[in-house]
Amino acid sequence: MATESIGLPFEASALSAWLVWILPFAAAMIMPGIGKISKRLTGYVAVGFALMSALSAASLLPMALEAHEIHDQVMWIEAIGLKAGVLADPISVIMANVVGWISFLIMIYSTGYMKGDKDITRFWFWMMFFIGSMQIIVLSDNLLQVFFGWEGVGLASYALISFWYRDKKKDHVGQEGKTVLGLLDYYAPTHAGMKAFIMTKIGDVMMIAGMLLIFLFAGTFGFRELVGDTDWAVAMNAQGLLIPAFVLLFGGAIGKSAQFPLNEWLLEAMTGPTAVSALIHAATMVKAGVFLVARIGPIVFALGAAGILADQFFEIVAWIGAITALLLATQGMVNPEIKKVLAYSTGSQIGYMMLAMGVAGLSHQYVDGYTAGFFHLISHAMFKASLFMAAGSLLHVVGSRFMTDMGGLRKQMKKTYAFMWAAGLGLMGAPFITTGFWSKDAVFAAVFESGSEWAMPLYAIAVLAAVITAFYTTRMIGLVFFGNKSKHIQKMEEEGHHIHEASISMWVPYGILAVLTIGIGLIGLSTEEGLHHLFEEYLEHSFGIHSEHAKIEGSSILPEFLQGLNPVALGSSLVAFSVGIGLGYIFYIGRWVDPVRFVNSNIFFYAIHKVILNRWYLNAMIYWCFVVAPLWLARGVFRYFEKTAIDYGMNDGFQKAVGWSAKVVQGTQTGVSQSYLFVFGAGLLFVVLILLM
Amino acid sequence: MLEITSTPLVLIAILGTVGVILPIISIARKEKGSNSFYAVIAFAALIVSMGYVGYQFLNDNVAPSALFSDDVIVDDAFGGFFAIAMLIVALFTTVGSFNYMRKHNSPAVYYSLILLATIGMVLVAYSTDLVMLFVAWELMSIPTYVLVGFMKKNPSSNEAALKYFLFGALSSAIIVYGIAISYGLTGSTNIGDVIEGYSTLDPSLLPLALLSVGMFIAGFGFKMGLVPFHQWLPDTYEGAPSPVTALLAAATKKAGFAAAIRIIVLGMVALNLDWTLALGIIAVMTMTVGNIAAIMQKNLSRMLAYSSVAHAGYILIGLAVAPYSSLGLQGSLYQIFNHAIMKGAAFIAIAGIVTTLAVTHIDKLKGLGRRMPITALGMIISLFALAGVPPLSGFWSKLMLFGSALDASSALWWAPWLAIAGVLNSALSLAYYGWITRKMYFEGETEKRVSEPKSIVAVMIFSIIFLVGFGVYPEPLLKFVEFATPIVSLGLMP
Repeated sequence: MATESIGLPFEASALSAWLVWILPFAAAMIMPGIGKISKRLTGYVAVGFALMSALSAASLLPMALEAHEIHDQVMWIEAIGLKAGVLADPISVIMANVVGWISFLIMIYSTGYMKGDKDITRFWFWMMFFIGSMQIIVLSDNLLQVFFGWEGVGLASYALISFWYRDKKKDHVGQEGKTVLGLLDYYAPTHAGMKAFIMTKIGDVMMIAGMLLIFLFAGTFGFRELVGDTDWAVAMNAQGLLIPAFVLLFGGAIGKSAQFPLNEWLLEAMTGPTAVSALIHAATMVKAGVFLVARIGPIVFALGAAGILADQFFEIVAWIGAITALLLATQGMVNPEIKKVLAYSTGSQIGYMMLAMGVAGLSHQYVDGYTAGFFHLISHAMFKASLFMAAGSLLHVVGSRFMTDMGGLRKQMKKTYAFMWAAGLGLMGAPFITTGFWSKDAVFAAVFESGSEWAMPLYAIAVLAAVITAFYTTRMIGLVFFGNKSKHIQKMEEEGHHIHEASISMWVPYGILAVLTIGIGLIGLSTEEGLHHLFEEYLEHSFGIHSEHAKIEGSSILPEFLQGLNPVALGSSLVAFSVGIGLGYIFYIGRWVDPVRFVNSNIFFYAIHKVILNRWYLNAMIYWCFVVAPLWLARGVFRYFEKTAIDYGMNDGFQKAVGWSAKVVQGTQTGVSQSYLFVFGAGLLFVVLILLM
Repeated sequence: MLEITSTPLVLIAILGTVGVILPIISIARKEKGSNSFYAVIAFAALIVSMGYVGYQFLNDNVAPSALFSDDVIVDDAFGGFFAIAMLIVALFTTVGSFNYMRKHNSPAVYYSLILLATIGMVLVAYSTDLVMLFVAWELMSIPTYVLVGFMKKNPSSNEAALKYFLFGALSSAIIVYGIAISYGLTGSTNIGDVIEGYSTLDPSLLPLALLSVGMFIAGFGFKMGLVPFHQWLPDTYEGAPSPVTALLAAATKKAGFAAAIRIIVLGMVALNLDWTLALGIIAVMTMTVGNIAAIMQKNLSRMLAYSSVAHAGYILIGLAVAPYSSLGLQGSLYQIFNHAIMKGAAFIAIAGIVTTLAVTHIDKLKGLGRRMPITALGMIISLFALAGVPPLSGFWSKLMLFGSALDASSALWWAPWLAIAGVLNSALSLAYYGWITRKMYFEGETEKRVSEPKSIVAVMIFSIIFLVGFGVYPEPLLKFVEFATPIVSLGLMP
């Protein structure tokens, strides 16, 4: 082992970097054995190992916040000089802590949420397997190792989406009987798992292609090895392969982070247990794509020093992010299922992060967008995990995934109500008090100040999506907690069910995250500045990307405590928040206007509503082109080719031909010596004739 | 002149002496000796012979394959190679007969005949003179006629012997005819002189030379089981006692190939004529007819008889492309050696099944994997090796054979088709090998294990070790084959 530890008191912490991902795997490995001993014990073991893993990650923090790094390698495949390793630098350590602590909280939540499930051992196994794989992605020092983790989280995601593989009606998503373009918009867990797996695989194939292309030229998968020596990039660029290779890598991120056009799997992924949705499909795995961009983005940007401009790559990242942010936000406005609203919101928010990572590369001040994207990743992980867990509590209590089956719950579930407001305000970007505000504002500022030719359209999209975000969040809270009790709840209460708060192991985790959203939000600006400073140093030290301190002090019209912010971005944030929450209040909290009547009031709104509700017809079109049509083709081939040409023609025909010729040959075997002698003689003649020919 | 210690002479001495003495002992003891008593003596004689051949090889006393010699026999690696293969089969037959012949009379004569036939086969491979070859040929054939009909009271054994004898006589006559013509054309019976004479033949006499070659092909083709000279073969193999069938299929057939390589291939090269096509056509016909006929058979012996016909076709590929690819003859020799073990083991397995269960019909083999596990395993390994399934030894020889056909494709446009035909036929052959496997292992449920004859088990274990061992590690066998293969190329003169 070669330890390149720079931090002073941290000689031993290379081990903790390894432990961060080894511990969860160890837990997964012993899980089946523990399940044999006692099912109750599995939960404690899982929580314990998740805590240890999170603590290992936390022990790396002091080193990373000093902008130092640990890079530790062991030989992996000797023959091609491939090394496995951990790279604990600021972004990976911060990410590892986000993953580690949120998964720890979600594990606690799961002990309540999954109580009594008879497949609980399998659940814990896959959860721990997931955490281990995710931490491999985060802490690996090379692309190939990342890919192993990448596939590991994909596998765990597949297994957990279809966790309730018996496909009971209550585990489906979508409205039963609803059709879009003639296809059912109603999915069973097993179908959803497969859909997620296949759609993300499209991205994975692109990713491995990009990886191998780079390896072909650079001869290494290592993140650090790719920086510094730029000969490989020059050679690739000369052949026009550099940007395609990185775009292919980004393809993996598109699939994993559910970005347009591979976004449709995330909605059906909501068939999994809510704890899974919170951990995998909101807080961590879907961020892997953003993290990958954060890993490779600086490498690409640093190539600018070698005279290679990769603007196209960053433009693609930014535009994909912006399109996704808007596309999915719109759908969040109309969906009746609470988890789906949150899923749309997740995809949309990740779009923001991608947008920030993209514009970072288009501006001269790379660190601005980079910090904004990463800061938004952290704040989103907190409030979205909290929202998901709260939604899980609601599902648990109400027994329905539809918001129309809830309503008026603010009295019975006071804690959930409060926490959901707190986390929801984070998502909306409530000014000055939530992390969501500061991080979104940073994204706006980064886009606005990037100086790219696309800055204005991207900025407009981002602001529009923010308005919509505030609106659908208010709608969600309004539908669930305000108004009258729904028929469903009334019926439940008539049947003697008492609607009550969720158990303590459930509300504490999302309570903590909701409080953190506000708590860190209060000191949000200094947090952001700290992060900005850290990344500045990190980018300079590891990639040689310099930042200019061009901010003009004191000339701003803003009050003292907001110094350093971009006034335009700040204004847009405030307006977006106010407009969104105002509209939401009118329709869903104050209930002054009936949204149904409003939509039906004119054909224009009606048409828009229908298009959005039908997922912009994107899902249906994907199904028509890539599922229905190939199946139709396959059936045709089966019926008109396999059944006829292959089965009747070749199989039966061949069998008959062989049988027939065997009969003929046997027919010559008369058993009569005279005829044998005749054949012998004829054969001799035949041989001599051929020879004489 | 050959030295007195040269391999063929010593073999004649050992096997001949024991072969002649056995009946004398029997008479002296008034035919009271048991089956196993004579079997052990024969076994010992064969082991000693085997040991001597091995000793000669290990001490480098064996000349590399000499193509020609002034003597009537030559002590070369080619002959030694065949001697080892045939001695192994003779050992198989002897061991396999321990139980099989227990209930029959005159064991001394039986084993004596096996030894005498073995001398004949070995000498065929060593012969470099046509007359010597013919004498050896007859020495090999006549005892086997008797052996096939050894069960006097069994009509199918008698029928088998009669058919075998009729065709044997006919083919011998044809060979003599061929020898006569070649002697007439060249004034010599030494193979080297004949071929030299042929290569300088007046063109007007060429058709006669070709006629003699045709006669040789037909005459030796009878033993090799080439289509259309194969029709006696299934009837004989089915009717003969199974150990004897092993001797016929695995050993005498190979003597036919040894003779064919000595005369036909070398002659072909010398004559510089394109008669490879004739061999190619016969090869394809042989393998196809053999496999197609085998596929519907219900009798195990008969099925393997046809499979043996098919294998003659594969081996012939190597002969056909010999002038154009150095791999050709190597592949043939390799396949000959493997085939001797595979077919020998398969027929001895049948002998075991017949002695224990008295069945040969395939439907009666249900659950054999449980009843006679070792026999069944030996059988399956042999069959899969015959089909050329890796990593068994049979795979490498087939690979080399088909490879040689591809190798020759630059000179012969039709050579790759031999490989294609061979591969397709191998696939076809898996149909009936698989059928047997299915019967033995996947059908029947309630069968109890029966005790397997120890001698059969010994043969099975030897073959399994051989086929798997040289399949996984083919290097030594490959070296041996390379050493034994005569090097021929176009335009080669004696």
